[in-house]
Formats: sequence, structure tokens, C-alpha cells
Amino acid sequence: MNLILSDRPLALTVQSTSQVRVIDLSALSIHNCVGCFGCWTRTPGRCVIRDDAVTVYPLIAQSQRVLYVSRITYGGYDTVMKTMLERAIPVQQAFIRLVDGETHHLQRNVAPKQAVILGYGAQSPEEEDLFRRMVARNARNMNFTRFQVRFSPEEALEAAVEEEVSKWAVS
Amino acid sequence: MGRILILNGSPRAPKSNSKRYAQLFLDCRRGDYLEITRSNHQQLCAQVGAYSDLVLAFPLYADGLPVTLLHFLKALEAHLPAHKPTVSVLINCGFLEYGQNDIAVEMVALFCRQNGFPFGSVLKIGSGEAILDTPFRFLAAGAVKKFAKSVAAGRYASFHTAMPLPKSLFLKASAAYWTEYGKKNGISEAEMRTMQIESS
Repeated sequence: MNLILSDRPLALTVQSTSQVRVIDLSALSIHNCVGCFGCWTRTPGRCVIRDDAVTVYPLIAQSQRVLYVSRITYGGYDTVMKTMLERAIPVQQAFIRLVDGETHHLQRNVAPKQAVILGYGAQSPEEEDLFRRMVARNARNMNFTRFQVRFSPEEALEAAVEEEVSKWAVS
Repeated sequence: MGRILILNGSPRAPKSNSKRYAQLFLDCRRGDYLEITRSNHQQLCAQVGAYSDLVLAFPLYADGLPVTLLHFLKALEAHLPAHKPTVSVLINCGFLEYGQNDIAVEMVALFCRQNGFPFGSVLKIGSGEAILDTPFRFLAAGAVKKFAKSVAAGRYASFHTAMPLPKSLFLKASAAYWTEYGKKNGISEAEMRTMQIESS
């Protein structure tokens, strides 16, 4: 399965299907992670907050390809995408493993994935550089086998997404 | 010497390790302590201008700033105080490598550059979830003391600490820590290690 996760509505020709899921996070009700560790130590693999996030993180886990579209704030994801990614920790275990010699959480049944992260709204090349380096950190924690960071003006996001999706069709 | 405000940006601020680190700071240097909530951004924004130094204490979340803190920084950007305090960072992560906090520190530094806040001292803590309850607590307390001294004196610098354990031993120690955590909730290690994720 492939997943397009966006922090804003996108007018796309690609439709959400069982093979390609398109999710507009801004249309969902997703509360902040409260850091309770319940998904690790009370109900492993299941968040105790029963809002829309619980329909999204299983899709993140299942997807072989993900395309995340997010505004960039202070060199990282803006609040809409970041809230969802923080709520996705039920896909990991509390326990620690080594990844390339660094300590990271063990994953549950998370498909290895190719990721394209499409950022918009960066104020400077410096901010884009920081965003790139943050995504490189994500790769180790989110089971990315390959990743690409791409930047786009907000008004050109749809075209950029369509271009990336067309690559999925031929690969 | 100016006035110091510590803001706790942890999502579980009242029960957080960030609060414990903040208390260690306040054990050696005077300052005020407040927690960021969903509803107090405006109030905090109005207060920070009265301080010479603002210390942001928070955990690493998903390789970056916890969204609790991110929301507050956006509010602060929208309500900039006339006097901008020097911003210092006290960050901890559960991983052994304190360097995993680097990107989040750079995010705060970028916020400061974008909004005209002077950037001050940094303390990066690795193994920060557990270190305070181990014999290595003194390392964390010592690092917080040096950090606090630098902030109070205006001689800003960067510090770091973590448990001095080989990684293989850290893996075993962290497994024991989390197994015990689950046990208190009536969950076995095997249950915690389930590979299943709920279905969408």
C-alpha cells in the first residue's frame, strides 16, 4: 500500500483507493500525544487516545511507500504533521535496538518504506538544510529504507505530488 | 544578574523528567518555573519579556521539538515581547546518545535567529528517561549545575551528559527498565514485545 499524508487539502487527480490512501490530516481530529507510554506499557500497539490518529498510524505501518506533505516550521514539520507523527509511536516498542550503531526503538510490524517528504514554506536555505537533516534522523526511527526530501512552493504542491505519484506507477 | 524563567515544554509536564531536571536547576540557581499548557500561551508570552533568561526544558519527540513546545513557540512568534530574553535549552532523550538531541537544539536556535532572540546555553542529556533513577544521577545533576551556572552568569556554553555505559549494557538496562514499567501496569515483557499494531 502507498500512503499520501498531507497537512493541508490537496486537489489531486489521484483518488484514495485500497492501493493508494490519501489523507488530509487537517480534516481529522487528532489530539497531542500526552507522553503516557500507554501504547508501550499498557495496551501495546494501541494508543489510549481514541481519536482519528488511531485510523492513521496503522496505515503508516502498512505502507511500502509514503509521501508526506508538510509545512516547515523552525526546520521541522509544522504542528499538524508533527502531531500525527508523535501519535504514531504505537508502531514502535519501548525496547531499544541498535541501528547503524545508534540506539533506537524496536519497530513492530512496520513495512520497510520508501519515503518522499515534500516540504513547503521554508524561509531560507538554512531552514531547508535543517529539515533535510531532520528527515535523515526520521529515516532511522521510521523504517525508511530510502528517502528523498523535496521542497515546493505551496501553490505548486499538487503538481509536485502528482509527479511523485506518477513515479510510483512506473517503479 | 538577571531573572531566569524555566518553561517546561513536555507533553506530560507535571510528571515529566523535564520537571525533575528543572528542579535540579532550581536547586542551585534561583528562577521561576512554569509549564506550557494548551491554554496558557498568551499568559506565558506576556511574561517572558520580564526575564533576562528563558530556559526551555523539554524531551526529544520524534527527532524534534514536542508539539506542545512547537505550539508555544509559534504563539511567541506571533506575540513577540518588547524585551527578548536569552533562550537556553535543557533537552533530554531516552536514547543513549546525547547527540540525538542536536537537531532539536538547532530548531530552537533557528527560532531564535528568525525572531531576534539571543541564544544561550545548551544541555543535552542522553539516557534521560532513566538516568535520574540510577547511580549515574550525579552525572546529570552535575551537568545541570554547570548549565545553570552558565545561564545565571551569562557565560553561555554547551554541555552534555549520558550514562557512561557500553551500548550492549545500555540495551540490557533499558530492557529491564521498560519491563519493570510494564509490570507495574500488569503487562508482561512478551505482551510489550508484541509485533501487532491495531488495525485501521
